[in-house]
Amino acid sequence: MILEAIVFYIFSAVVVGAGVGVIAARNPVHSVLFLILAFFTAAGLFILMGAEFLAFILVIVYVGAVAVLFLFVVMMLDIDFERLRSGFVRYLPVGAGVGLLLLVELVLIFGTWEVAPKRLSSVPVYARARLTNTRALGDILYTRYVFAFEMAGLILLVAMIGAIILTLRHRTEVRRQRIAAQLARTPKESVEVVKVPIGEGA
Amino acid sequence: MAHEALPVLAPAAPEMFLAAAAMALLIFGVTRPNGSARLISWLAAFALVLALLGEFALGGERRVGYYGMFVTDSFSLFMKTLVLLGSALTIVMGLKYNEDRGIARFEFPVLILLAATGMMVMVSANDLIILFVGLELQNVALYVVASFEREGVRSPEAGLKYFVLSALSSGLLLYGISLIYGFTGTTSFAALATLAAGTAAPGIGLIIGIVFVVVGLAFKVSAVPFHMWTPDVYEGAPTPVTAFFSVAPKLAAFALFVRFMIVPFAPFLSEWRQIIVFLSIASMALGAVAGIAQENIKRLMAYSAIGHVGYALIGLAAGTEEGIRGVLVYLSIYFLMTLGAFAVILSMRRNGRMVEGINDLAGLSRTQPALALALAIFMFSLAGIPPTAGFFGKLYVFLAAINANLVGLAVVGVLTSVVASFYYVRIVKIAYFDEPAAPFDRPIAAELKGVLIVTALLTLFFFVHPGPLIGGAKAAAASLFLR
Amino acid sequence: MDNALWTLYARPALITVGEVLAIIVPLLVAVAYLTYAERKIIALSQLRKGPNVVGPFGLLQPFADGLKLFLKETVIPSGASPVVFVIAPILTFTLALIAWAVIPFAPGAVVANINVGILYLFAVSSLGVYGIIIAGWASNSRYAFLGALRSAAQMVSYEVASGFVLVTVLLCAGSLNLTDIVLAQRHVWFVVPLLPMFVVFYVSGLAETNRVPFDLPEGESELVAGYFVEYSAMTFALFYLGEYANIILISGMASVLFLGGWLPPAPVVPFTWIPGPLWFALKAALLAFGFLWVRTTFPRFRYDQLMRLGWKVFLPLSLGWVFLTAAVLMGTGWLPGHG
Repeated sequence: MILEAIVFYIFSAVVVGAGVGVIAARNPVHSVLFLILAFFTAAGLFILMGAEFLAFILVIVYVGAVAVLFLFVVMMLDIDFERLRSGFVRYLPVGAGVGLLLLVELVLIFGTWEVAPKRLSSVPVYARARLTNTRALGDILYTRYVFAFEMAGLILLVAMIGAIILTLRHRTEVRRQRIAAQLARTPKESVEVVKVPIGEGA
Repeated sequence: MAHEALPVLAPAAPEMFLAAAAMALLIFGVTRPNGSARLISWLAAFALVLALLGEFALGGERRVGYYGMFVTDSFSLFMKTLVLLGSALTIVMGLKYNEDRGIARFEFPVLILLAATGMMVMVSANDLIILFVGLELQNVALYVVASFEREGVRSPEAGLKYFVLSALSSGLLLYGISLIYGFTGTTSFAALATLAAGTAAPGIGLIIGIVFVVVGLAFKVSAVPFHMWTPDVYEGAPTPVTAFFSVAPKLAAFALFVRFMIVPFAPFLSEWRQIIVFLSIASMALGAVAGIAQENIKRLMAYSAIGHVGYALIGLAAGTEEGIRGVLVYLSIYFLMTLGAFAVILSMRRNGRMVEGINDLAGLSRTQPALALALAIFMFSLAGIPPTAGFFGKLYVFLAAINANLVGLAVVGVLTSVVASFYYVRIVKIAYFDEPAAPFDRPIAAELKGVLIVTALLTLFFFVHPGPLIGGAKAAAASLFLR
Repeated sequence: MDNALWTLYARPALITVGEVLAIIVPLLVAVAYLTYAERKIIALSQLRKGPNVVGPFGLLQPFADGLKLFLKETVIPSGASPVVFVIAPILTFTLALIAWAVIPFAPGAVVANINVGILYLFAVSSLGVYGIIIAGWASNSRYAFLGALRSAAQMVSYEVASGFVLVTVLLCAGSLNLTDIVLAQRHVWFVVPLLPMFVVFYVSGLAETNRVPFDLPEGESELVAGYFVEYSAMTFALFYLGEYANIILISGMASVLFLGGWLPPAPVVPFTWIPGPLWFALKAALLAFGFLWVRTTFPRFRYDQLMRLGWKVFLPLSLGWVFLTAAVLMGTGWLPGHG
């Protein structure tokens, strides 16, 4: 359908443009904002392919959580990016060489591209009529790929333990609020009623 | 509505037990007051032993679970035995060190448990996805333990270096995996094997994918030219962590390497052999030459490890059942002598502080003759001098290489081991013939003493009864070639 | 050819524009009168009269305020990043409006009846934080930046808990589609079995809209006005409208997810006389009133208390409730959409 094609090209152009913006922007915060735009438009492309669940998860996880932290860090850091870029010209030949090499490789690869429809059809593709893709994903994620899924969970657990071990310091000089202690206080232990004779209070 | 059936879970039961044990110990540790690190370390070692018993209960017969993504066979049994023993022993060996340094925290054994889980999954991976998640579980845990001594300078540096380079290599690995998937349409080793058996020559895309995966794996086993992280990380990380690094993860990565090359891609042996040969020669040469100038014993062990990886790769380059048997024998002997050598290094304490210089060993034979004898045994074995175990390890891989028409490779191996023996023997010379330095603290912790005695005896008297190990390695190697 | 163009593209486009207008215009009127209601209600609780000069009972006050803001000059501070500075309020306001696309007012009365409506809402509300961070950063002002940082930390923290609340709801409903979620409440509104989750959701809603008692990002006594201290005229008005539109949105979401949306409390005669959209509006209005009531009643939280409530109370509670709900549904076989 022509409308889908138009939307696809608009979204793709925005993704590519935003990608260029990420590396070309002088201000690092603008880079992150371009990155967010790229994520967001990529989500649009997902919707175009009918993968609505992936699209929204992309927005929720990457845009809504990961990129916020990115932005946070970049805004707080006081990095002189101009100085970081100063080596750009010096490293350009090496970088260009590596890039050229990768380009040649990619050309070679695409030269022998043979994802023929017949080979794809030999792969068991999980497609079931009349299933929303949320349900279809859930159906295989918790059966066929449950092992990889649980392992990914373990990796995140390790990452969390690691972050806590490496950064948590119990500082003794900080006074913390102890809510239980506050609530358990009674008038008896905190108020002392003193009867002062009239005229003798200091 | 029909649902996918639940997968077969049984083959991964020990892994599930280990992960559950790690979480239980984590909760247990959090709820206990400080100072329970020793108890939890012993419990963790116990859990590793239980998992090992579970593996033995499963036995060496081939079981496939999780829709073919996970496999246990003699090979996995063999490698998991080494990995689990290595993890358990390094937890125990590190107890005293961690207490001295004030880093005895209960998270350490928990992280080792989780890393061990990842390594077991690597050994049993039968699918590219499982390969990657297992590797990452192990990696993330290793980043943290490498920088465990967070108040120091070198340990966080080591952790950070390892993190950056390892993340890069994981990226390459993942790129390779995606290329392989893109050109074959499958991530399953079994399907890849069928595909490879049916095609005369692989397409260039598939080859590039395999190369990227090999690069990623070569980094994990620290083969030259992807070894740069090894000396710095070995030197910077706390010594028990270094000991752990040099046994368990290396063996697991090697197991993964062997399975990835042999199970799906054995038909393409002629295509990938040259890469392995190159990695092997470069590692042996660098390990032999660069070790000479080292003054820090942990750094020396790093170059030694690089060299040994080169020898083990000879067996893989052969690509035959005999070659894989050689790899397995070599790795188990490497495991023994490295563990022993690190037990010696962990005993090098002077006035309550660890020392790491080679010259600190001077005259050890006069102050602590037993320790010096053990050191000499390990060094001779690392050098590959008969009749120690190290000689037999080299013998098996060289024989396999010659039978696979890789005579040149075997010759390079012999030459480099002659060069490398210089620095091993130099340590023995320092310990036996130099003027004594101040003696080390005594007594040596009981755990260390136990490990020292057992590994030294096994290394020295391996030749008396090598049958069980050789037989086990043979069965394990054969299980990879079953079609 | 012409005919095909009309039926395929032009007519659906016109219908969509009509639907959008049919939502936005009443919504903006509601936003205007929410500001009026807020001032009246605060006045009532403080025994004052509130706005009563412009129009009968002061009813035209919101329009007078709007006109004033519209005619003022938009000041862009020197040193600010001008493009980003202007984008921020537009973003906030747009996000507050587009969320309404998936809210069902009655059976079939919804602009986009998509399968993953609840995810859409969650995604849009998670984007809301950008308007604030960008505003704080682009203003090039310390107060604004501090306010933005506070706000970002606060919104991200409470989103986690409210995400788990959404999971409990969709476990009970067996669908991510909001119409299906409402229909799943035919027999009993989810507020009954999930009462604690309703409370968590509502309080998280207070925090995500930066309302009292969680209004630290704009805490005027410390940060002047927080992230929008540098904004004036229309740019300020857009933030203001966005905030109130978000209040109505959270109220609307809560009534769809927990109070049965357009469904009457019981399908019996006096209730069924009232049309569905009115029920929805009544429920949303009641919840929005709660926002104002809380504002007149509670003092502001301290920042560590705010974080403590989010991470140490709401998160474990909602996570536990997800387990509990799933376990109960599995145990009793009430899990919807299964088998």
